[in-house]
Amino acid sequence: MIRIAAVGDVHMDRDVLGRFRPALEELPDRADVLLLAGDLTRHGTEEEARCVATEFGNLGVPVVAVLGNHDHHRDEVPQVIRALETAGIVVLEGTNLVLDCGGVRLGVAGAKGFGGGFAGRCASEFGEPEMKAFIRTTQAIADQLGEALREMDCDVRVALTHYAPVPDTLAGEPLEIYPFLGSYLLGQAIDSAPTELALHGHAHAGSERGSTPGGVRVRNVAHPVIKQAYSVFHLYPPYAGTGARVSAAGETGSS
Amino acid sequence: MNGRAQGDTEPPDDYLEAAIQRLLTEHNAIAEQGLTVTRRDHSLVVCGEVESAQRREEILRLVLERFPNLPVTVDIGLIRTEAPSTVEELR
Ligand SMILES: [Fe+2]
Ligand SMILES: [Fe+2]
Repeated sequence: MIRIAAVGDVHMDRDVLGRFRPALEELPDRADVLLLAGDLTRHGTEEEARCVATEFGNLGVPVVAVLGNHDHHRDEVPQVIRALETAGIVVLEGTNLVLDCGGVRLGVAGAKGFGGGFAGRCASEFGEPEMKAFIRTTQAIADQLGEALREMDCDVRVALTHYAPVPDTLAGEPLEIYPFLGSYLLGQAIDSAPTELALHGHAHAGSERGSTPGGVRVRNVAHPVIKQAYSVFHLYPPYAGTGARVSAAGETGSS
Repeated sequence: MNGRAQGDTEPPDDYLEAAIQRLLTEHNAIAEQGLTVTRRDHSLVVCGEVESAQRREEILRLVLERFPNLPVTVDIGLIRTEAPSTVEELR
């Protein structure tokens, strides 16, 4: 069994320091890893990232994060990442990491994601350059996420994004803003590999549970949604991706 | 905690809702995207949850400062940060 703790949208600044720490101190007894689903800071400043490092660093379990839109606001992404890494927090940006959890290889692939909307109600790569750039951005991130998921040599695959890969977990948000909350392209990337669980944040007024068209369970772990310091998920064998490296065509191969 | 300001009461219109929504997101001291602004008869209600009591106070202060003649109710909670009492078993 693998125990995954996760939270997103903690929007740290000095005023939040210490609020999560008591619950985080219990993590080594409760989880094998902590995943942070983006919007770690309030404006994406280096100073706020140092607050994240203080609050979420040195926990006794590995901490793996993706960034969110707030973490990009000040255009200080390299400084933000450096501050997080100083505290041992691994930041995934279309990349992956395989952790050994008591003999089970847990693979985490992560990317911020971006918007565009969901099948049947989505933006297209057409028209003005700004519109095309919008969808190309999402497509490029989704391509990286899919590749990062497929290429891992591991037993359990978890996808970590900030933006939502499905509309299910947006229930509660105004329909009009769905295109700014996520994209089906992320869901498609997740379905291109035998993914066990997909975690995201960003939709503060959304809901907790959903699944991709391919049947992968999706959880919105935005802090205002889960209303606790973090959620914990227990994953049991048989795992969907045991020992499989997956080709770009989506077929499983032996490794 | 609720804050309420009464002035000469012009009914809030759609543009005002948009102005408050953008103020809450774009003002440097707030940067909250997850709050909702809804119309209730002749007042606006700002709802949602934030990460600290200071942020709640700041939102209240700023909305009252920017829209002194508008009846606005701020109904914002603090997000709990307890360790979870249950685990989700995914089988
Ligand atoms: Fe957020
Ligand atoms: Fe966000």
